[in-house]
Amino acid sequence: MQTPFRLAEHSRRGSQPLSSPPPGYFEQLPTRIMTQVAAPAHQPGLAGRWWAPAYLRTGLASTLLLGTFAASLWLGGARVPAPASLDAVPQAQLVEYLTSGETRVDMLDLAELPTQRLGLPTHYMQPSAAELTDALDAQPAEEAGLL
Amino acid sequence: MEDPEILAKFHEPASRNLAFNQLVRKYQQKVYWHVRKMVVDHADADDLTQDVFVKVWKNLENFRQDAQLFTWIYRIATNECLSFLQSKRRKFFLPLNDVGAELAAKLEADPALAGDEIELKLQRAILRLPDKQRLVFNLRYYDEMPYEQMAEVTGTSVGALKASYHHAARKIEEYVTKADNPGWSASETD
Repeated sequence: MQTPFRLAEHSRRGSQPLSSPPPGYFEQLPTRIMTQVAAPAHQPGLAGRWWAPAYLRTGLASTLLLGTFAASLWLGGARVPAPASLDAVPQAQLVEYLTSGETRVDMLDLAELPTQRLGLPTHYMQPSAAELTDALDAQPAEEAGLL
Repeated sequence: MEDPEILAKFHEPASRNLAFNQLVRKYQQKVYWHVRKMVVDHADADDLTQDVFVKVWKNLENFRQDAQLFTWIYRIATNECLSFLQSKRRKFFLPLNDVGAELAAKLEADPALAGDEIELKLQRAILRLPDKQRLVFNLRYYDEMPYEQMAEVTGTSVGALKASYHHAARKIEEYVTKADNPGWSASETD
């Protein structure tokens, strides 16, 4: 026959039925707790606030890195040197180049040049009378018929 | 140091740390054992006890003194225990009995219960109770807390607490009685 168990008849083990904590636990616990709560004894200054939470620091660092990369790409593209412009070359030099040696071009070729496409300055195709005379005088004798 | 003096010193920045240190020394054992009886494991109880006092530190400035200081601390400790056990169940997606089995295993390993079969059966029976009912049982049976104070700690009416304790006691007595039966197995459930 089962003997009913009665709480009222059972001798209670005080308020601590389980095994005790390690020796010295309660002597050390207040110090451990005070270390946690009393650590931020003062508000950090501006420099101190820079040491923000880890997630904020990571975000700022990533943003800075990406920004530097983007800036270097943008600035690197802008530094491509502009092509040399024919405007900087004197007309006489141009004519000499075109009509001399292997690069010789006759007047007919020059007349057909699409100036807009080649970007030739308009004043090159509209020389003065003196410039024309000089250019023609510089031509070989067999082309005298063009005069 | 009495509670009013602790509170007065805590409100003074110069004596705040000293006052809090006194508060911890005064209530640490009660808080620890209250928590330990719920979570069984010493390491868990240690973590929770520290969490309790950290919360006390953060909120003591706003303590309205409409209840006793220890009742207020006990309430924080109670909520921490219940939250811990609840998150344990949610975290591992385990039904109630599995977390109970985990706590029971820790109980079996406790050296204080080794060789004391009746006490071990009693502790197993208490562990089988729902968390809140177990809490009520511990407060009444082990801490001998008056129901009126228990009502402040748990936010439950005195009548409900009395009924809860009565049912808990009956369940425990039935379980231990059955457990004394030679043919009974510890894995049996109701």
